[in-house]
Amino acid sequence: MIQLFGVSKRYGTFRDALADISFRVEPGEFVFLTGPSGAGKSTLLRLLFMEETPTAGQIIVNGRNIGVLPQGQIPYLRRTMGVVFQDFKLIARKTIFENIAFVQNVLGLARVEQKRRAYQVLKRVGLHHLMNAYPDELSGGEQQRVAIARAIVNEPTLLLADEPTGNLDPVLAEEIMRLFVEINIRGTTVVVATHDLEMIRRTGKRTLILERGRLHDPDRVRESAPLVREAPFLPLH
Amino acid sequence: MPRPRYVFGEAWSIARTSPRQTAAAITLIALALYVPGLLALVSHNLSRLAAEETEDPASVVLTLDPQTDARAIATRLQADHRIQLVRIVSSDAALARFRRAYPDLGAALSDLKEAPFPPSIEVVLKPGAARTVSREIAAGARVWPGIESAESEEEFSRRFRDAIHLVRDAGLFLGAVLTLAAVLSVASAVRLALDLHREEVGIMRLMGATESAIRAPFWLYATSEGLVGGGLALGLLYATYRFAAHWLSRDPHPVLAVLWVGFLALPTQLLLPAAGAAAGLIGSLLSLGRRETRRATRLA
Repeated sequence: MIQLFGVSKRYGTFRDALADISFRVEPGEFVFLTGPSGAGKSTLLRLLFMEETPTAGQIIVNGRNIGVLPQGQIPYLRRTMGVVFQDFKLIARKTIFENIAFVQNVLGLARVEQKRRAYQVLKRVGLHHLMNAYPDELSGGEQQRVAIARAIVNEPTLLLADEPTGNLDPVLAEEIMRLFVEINIRGTTVVVATHDLEMIRRTGKRTLILERGRLHDPDRVRESAPLVREAPFLPLH
Repeated sequence: MPRPRYVFGEAWSIARTSPRQTAAAITLIALALYVPGLLALVSHNLSRLAAEETEDPASVVLTLDPQTDARAIATRLQADHRIQLVRIVSSDAALARFRRAYPDLGAALSDLKEAPFPPSIEVVLKPGAARTVSREIAAGARVWPGIESAESEEEFSRRFRDAIHLVRDAGLFLGAVLTLAAVLSVASAVRLALDLHREEVGIMRLMGATESAIRAPFWLYATSEGLVGGGLALGLLYATYRFAAHWLSRDPHPVLAVLWVGFLALPTQLLLPAAGAAAGLIGSLLSLGRRETRRATRLA
């Protein structure tokens, strides 16, 4: 699903946000990306959803080398991905339904199909009864669930989340993480960037650790994996 | 390609979120097109006068004092072997000719106590006469008693054409300057609208919206602004024309009346909204460069 070969990203002349990153994420896998603030987690995600281009190296997503992808093809590859942010990025003047429907609008879906999909996806995150509410009327956890619903409404094969629980209390964070696990169980590859180690430990998924733009020795990650896997799985409901 | 319903819906949404900027851009476009439109209207009416043809085009026109014996002058001119025809145009005949050229102004001139046009004599030269002949005859006649002015028609036509061109060029120049200002105003209105919608646009882009789907509503928004501005300019121009015509019908003025005798032809009228739409589109293209849009709507 995702392959990175010696990927580097440099801002300006001296600052390496990422240096020589290589890893592989299999289809259907759930991977955490962790590390302290400024480690390069968000930069890595931005490279994956093609908001940035790498300074060096190759990135393959869904079998396509995104470094050589023509600009005109990027939207079509993005349609196979969903992205969730820490600050939800919902549009305040649109209702929950409109927040989800407007992204389908641009894909040319019929109105009836938009409604059907929006309803289904909101039901999946348990918010179908709030379709006509505005984001401000929702709690942080509910807003993040809407953002997740929006990210998966086009049934992406890859879901990228950048600190999706960063603004939430532990209970809500767990709720959100449960949703990601559910989505992953249905077959979507999930990559979550977080610095919440407790969450990672409890979820027990594969973890990539970034520090100062470099990926920790994969062997070290592997060594720590049994410990991580011992952690109890989150209940799904 | 984005769905038309989506494009129209989003364009309307853009207009609603920045009503002040939209109104300012429309007003500026309307003003930018009104001024050259006004000059186009004046030059259009002056051109009508220039295009008015008589049976045999005169080469020299002598304007006479009202008391002058026109026949005596005509006889004197006929003695010149280079002249084919001498035509006396009385004040009444001049007025009748004017009414034929500008039927719309008939009512305006009917209440005049004095004849608005002085008597004149038109001189038609023999075919093949040298170009300098008309100027020689005019120069000779200027010193005759009873002659107010003597103009070689060639000279007069040139000056008249020059005046029309001046009006037209001034219109074009002012139009170009003001349209440039309007284009920049639209560009900043679009830029502001883009800023207000940056999150939306950023999300659309992440969800796989193509560049044309993202920009089409902004293009439509700006083009519509221009179209409305152009329509407003046309409406203002027509209102000005009607007001001037009404005012002149109450207080006739033979010279001013010429400038307001008719409205612009339909194709010229349509040019105003079309020019407005083009200005809007250009403004949006200027402010929605690929790189600028991407930078302005970067989400993460």
